[in-house]
Amino acid sequence: MARTPLLSRRDWLRLSAAGVVGTSLSGWFDALAAGAADDPRRKRALILLWMPGGPSQTDTFDLKPGHANGGPFKEIATSAPGVKISEHFPKLAKFGDRMAVVRSMSTREGDHSRATFHLRTGYLPQGPIQYPSLGSLVAKELGDDDSALPPAVSIASYSAFSPGAYGPGFLGPKYAPLMVGEATLAQAMGQGQGAYDQALKVRDLETPKEVPPAHADARIDLLKDMETEFLRHHPDVSPQSHLAAYDRAVRLMRTSASKAFALEEEKAELRDRYGRNLFGQGCLLARRLVERGVPFVEVSLTGVQGGGLGWDTHADNFNNIQKLCEVLDPAWATLLDDLKTRGLLDTTLVVWMGEFGRTPKINNNKGRDHFPNAWSTVLAGGGIKGGQVVGKTSADGMTVEDRPVTVPDFIATVCSALGIDPTKQNQSNVGRPIRIADAGAKPIKEVLA
Amino acid sequence: MNRPWLPLAGLLCLAVAPPLGRADNKPLPAVTPEVLAKRIDELIAAPWRERGVTATPLADDAEFLRRVFLDLGGRIPRVQEVREFLDDASSDKRRKVVDKLLESPYYVNHFTNVWRALMLPQTNNALGPPLAPQLEAWLKKRVRENAPYDRLVREVLTVSVRRQAMMSAGEPSPAVFYQANENKPENLASATSRLFLGVKLECAQCHNHPFAKWTKQQFWEYAAFFQPTAEREARVPGTEKTVQARFLDGSEPKKKSADSARETLADWVTSSENPYFARAAANRLWAHFFGLGLVEPIDEESDDNKPSHPELLDELSRQLALHSFDLRYLMKAIAYSNTYQLSSNSETTPLDAHLFARMSLKGLSPEQLYDSIAQATGFREPPTPDQRFMPFAPAGPRAEFLTRFANLSDKRTEYQTSILQALALMNGRFVADATSLERSETLAAVVDAPFLDSAGRVEALYLAALGRRPRADEKERLVKYVERGGPSGDAKKALADVFWALLNTSEFVLNH
Repeated sequence: MARTPLLSRRDWLRLSAAGVVGTSLSGWFDALAAGAADDPRRKRALILLWMPGGPSQTDTFDLKPGHANGGPFKEIATSAPGVKISEHFPKLAKFGDRMAVVRSMSTREGDHSRATFHLRTGYLPQGPIQYPSLGSLVAKELGDDDSALPPAVSIASYSAFSPGAYGPGFLGPKYAPLMVGEATLAQAMGQGQGAYDQALKVRDLETPKEVPPAHADARIDLLKDMETEFLRHHPDVSPQSHLAAYDRAVRLMRTSASKAFALEEEKAELRDRYGRNLFGQGCLLARRLVERGVPFVEVSLTGVQGGGLGWDTHADNFNNIQKLCEVLDPAWATLLDDLKTRGLLDTTLVVWMGEFGRTPKINNNKGRDHFPNAWSTVLAGGGIKGGQVVGKTSADGMTVEDRPVTVPDFIATVCSALGIDPTKQNQSNVGRPIRIADAGAKPIKEVLA
Repeated sequence: MNRPWLPLAGLLCLAVAPPLGRADNKPLPAVTPEVLAKRIDELIAAPWRERGVTATPLADDAEFLRRVFLDLGGRIPRVQEVREFLDDASSDKRRKVVDKLLESPYYVNHFTNVWRALMLPQTNNALGPPLAPQLEAWLKKRVRENAPYDRLVREVLTVSVRRQAMMSAGEPSPAVFYQANENKPENLASATSRLFLGVKLECAQCHNHPFAKWTKQQFWEYAAFFQPTAEREARVPGTEKTVQARFLDGSEPKKKSADSARETLADWVTSSENPYFARAAANRLWAHFFGLGLVEPIDEESDDNKPSHPELLDELSRQLALHSFDLRYLMKAIAYSNTYQLSSNSETTPLDAHLFARMSLKGLSPEQLYDSIAQATGFREPPTPDQRFMPFAPAGPRAEFLTRFANLSDKRTEYQTSILQALALMNGRFVADATSLERSETLAAVVDAPFLDSAGRVEALYLAALGRRPRADEKERLVKYVERGGPSGDAKKALADVFWALLNTSEFVLNH
């Protein structure tokens, strides 16, 4: 069936001049399969495994066996000599050779909201500047304007604590992540994790059944006429943004791009391996999206069934962490394995992080509290020289003893691994250009492949 | 760093320098809203002459009516309200409609939502709703009785937080404001200074910023008023220093007062001597109507970010204080002004919005959008469980819609539609029902009305959705479409298509 795009080529050019949409024209036809692994033009992609609440480094990637701060978990060897991690990552341990564990994150914010903003944008919240999230920055650098899929997708996010840290900020709506399966408060608190299949669909993608296809098309044409007229008399950002969103929405509806969300196409055995839960299936969706050329996908592990407040383990730390790891380990390991099998691991960077770590000292509720001074993150896959540990904390875990890594350093490392220049500047909403990573950022050279 | 579009700042400063040689430059005594409206127009127009700016003409009746309904009543007008207004020949009909709206229940609902969104920005997301109903119930009472603004703020600042224990009983109270700020002095300091004084302090919470006015010491001195203990002091984090509670203008509270620290603070905040209080309120109200403040960002007035029209801001604040902080008085004056009634139509590139020579487009709040769709389509919300008693009850269509359309940006003049929002408006259940021949009251009435021809039906849909009659070219095109019956030869379905398209336009989702 012939379809006319909502925006003509001239419209797109005009809007692109206004900075609302990209420079190239695609219409509603499928983009070429630019996502194929062997395509030499394939750009890199980032999958962020976001651990809201702040995961305990002492019980995951920087264990302190034998010390009073250590807790009950044991350390196990990985496929890389010298790289040891928690016993609750048995599957992940096989990918030690692809992982760089950063044990010397040294940040300053211990408040969820501010720290989340800091880690996810690279900047502390500051007055009126609307910093874009890392996902939107990557979307802008690596996104393909011809794609019917949006350049950034956020899966199972719970953005309430720091809404600004999930948005495109001054980069504008074009780079806003498509939110899929947003976690409800109940889910973030460890309930209702079962309904993942429905949650991981893009909502309202189908035209209502009572509207015949011919009418659905005719409606778009009517709308187009009406919009053209209004825009002529109101050449402002808002109607342009409205139009751009509709154009993208229609493209998503009318092309096979939305097949990316059809998890039922996957073999049951593979789906089982990822884990039949929101996070596991979210990781599978992340692979399907990256495979189709989406440059940024994040999956949040907000909570697990019966797992209290997720990673914010002020009480009953060890039971909760173990439950979280039982979901995290198979999902993460299967993701790396699946990417590798499909030849995508060399071009896909997988980052694991939260907004801070947790106190090495165990509190009176068998919990650990917020701790930004010395904590861990993990980089794996594309652009990363695996099989190593970066930095070192003291025997009690309280201080960084070697190679402190700041937030800007970390952001710069992620960018460099993706082939993005971290010193590149974007025009901000306050009239001055702002670097992707804050001035003074030094990428961790030794982890870059 | 404070002023957006820095390159323009220089020009703008020149442009807004107070006109020289004015004879009547002295402040006005307490004046009627009509007189203040004229003064607004004079002060806004002065820089236009210097810059050779031509303002847009006044909005026509339909454009004005839709705008004023959205701004004061939070929803678009009904078909009947539009027809009556357009056919009314009296010369003071615009003022009459402003006055009528300010007395209507729609005003009460809308400003309850507006203040709730300001006081609990957390309720724009999933965390807040359990807290919101109690605050809303309190706001509704106060807005309905037109409580003077200083009294409203005093009540927020002095409410006993022990009353939070009664939250489950759902008693109307502003106490949840403290709960939403986790009862932390630093959070309350940021929130109250921003809301009630137009001062953004939070950057000073952690460090002195080289360009900012406020110091870390001042931040913690102000925060000390919110200490739950009687000490009236706070320790500056990361130091051994303890500071005493002190007002932001540097003055020291009188010691040995029997009042609580927050009562002492409320006296200072709401005093007509306070240099920030009336000013912040006037600027916020201005921004409500124009999408951007006379100081913009509205909570960041500083030497680097001066008001675009200093004399006007002074006058509005003074008149507000002279009128015992009656917010409706100031709203009347603004809504009566020609400045507010300028058209948003402009074929040329928009002028600097800070000149107010053309009405800016504003995004709708989620509530405005929902209530307007409901209004246009005749939808009635089925009763939903009271969230005060069932905070995790399944959300009704309204709650679900509001979550989807929550807008995290405070830049109302640069409203941005997301893909998910576009999909919800195109295919979502709410709009689908609203444009269904079986389920939409408005559509059913228009389709079945025996006295209407196709042109009459198209016009009725325009009035319902956009609050105006279609232009000749629009009417011609759409009548042809309807009479042809769209792609299936079914005139009723074709009318549903037209209604759907109207509800999905920028013209519908924006306030212009």
